[in-house]
Amino acid sequence: MRIEDLSRLLETHGADPARWPPARRAAALALLETSAEARRRRAAAAAVDALLRESLPEPDAETLARMRDRLARAIARAPLPEAPRRGPPVLRWLRPLVPAGCGALAALATCLLLMGLSSWPRGPAPEEVLGAPRLLAMMMESGE
Amino acid sequence: MLNAMLSFAGWEAAISDRVLPGPALQPRLSRDLAAAPDETLLAWAGEGDRMAFDQLALRHLGRLHQVALRITGRPAEAEEAVQDAMLSAWRNAARFDPARARAGTWLYSITAHAAIDRARRPAPMPLEAAGDPADPAADPETRLAERQRQEQLQAAMADLPPRQRAALALAYDQGLSGAEAAAALSVSLRGLEGLLRRARGLLAARLRGTPE
Repeated sequence: MRIEDLSRLLETHGADPARWPPARRAAALALLETSAEARRRRAAAAAVDALLRESLPEPDAETLARMRDRLARAIARAPLPEAPRRGPPVLRWLRPLVPAGCGALAALATCLLLMGLSSWPRGPAPEEVLGAPRLLAMMMESGE
Repeated sequence: MLNAMLSFAGWEAAISDRVLPGPALQPRLSRDLAAAPDETLLAWAGEGDRMAFDQLALRHLGRLHQVALRITGRPAEAEEAVQDAMLSAWRNAARFDPARARAGTWLYSITAHAAIDRARRPAPMPLEAAGDPADPAADPETRLAERQRQEQLQAAMADLPPRQRAALALAYDQGLSGAEAAAALSVSLRGLEGLLRRARGLLAARLRGTPE
């Protein structure tokens, strides 16, 4: 490994060998043992690491308690989680395009259709129809 | 109390006698929230179990706040970002797929994106100091030097684009693997390395007092 490769490694992953990609770790450590310049660059990277660590405080217990309480109250008011959409991909894609309440609309349309069919004007009842047996009976009565 | 009542009434036995295929179908009252892994808590939350989600929040709020604070640089904005992220996690809990990511990584991802969105909005006022206050026991010169160093770092961090700050937050602060951090930020591994390299390069240059 060259110094430039180590620099790139340090710039990307920092000074801690535990964070270096395993494939390059051994070569980097070997270079650090033999090169003073490599060690200097690693020390510079370690300074940035330390500064990053120091600059991020642990949140205090009061802040966390407040956040948890606020979240719990928001979750108590929030609707239940949305169920995952299942079914064929085409239906899942089309579902958002369908307007809300379309199921109720379809049920209403079906009811109206059934009501319309039930009140449709029908033909005369069978007893009102002058069938052949009844005509024959009438003719016989008139013949007598 | 309620558990004891159910047990007395023989309900618990009746429930537990049934063969339940997975943790998601376990009766709510017999759930051991403290012992359940994150993924199970999230599955329960997906069924509407608010207590399970609270347990998840208890475990992760601190780290999520750190991620958001690193990205936004402002404690109040960080809290808002975490709140937004956790509400989004609640709404989408049923859609979480444990085969694709760990629950913690999923939460980091949602939080990082929420914080990036907030960090891109114009700051209402100068960045609040996110670091620890200087040690009051130290002598004045040490305190001044420490304060100047913190201010220098805060200024340098504020100059970084939000995505670079997010990469630092996930890969360094939270110790996520490269693959996890890249997935959380929706970038390739190479893209993540580029973000980290540019961020560290800029920070190192600012701390040396030289332009990048």
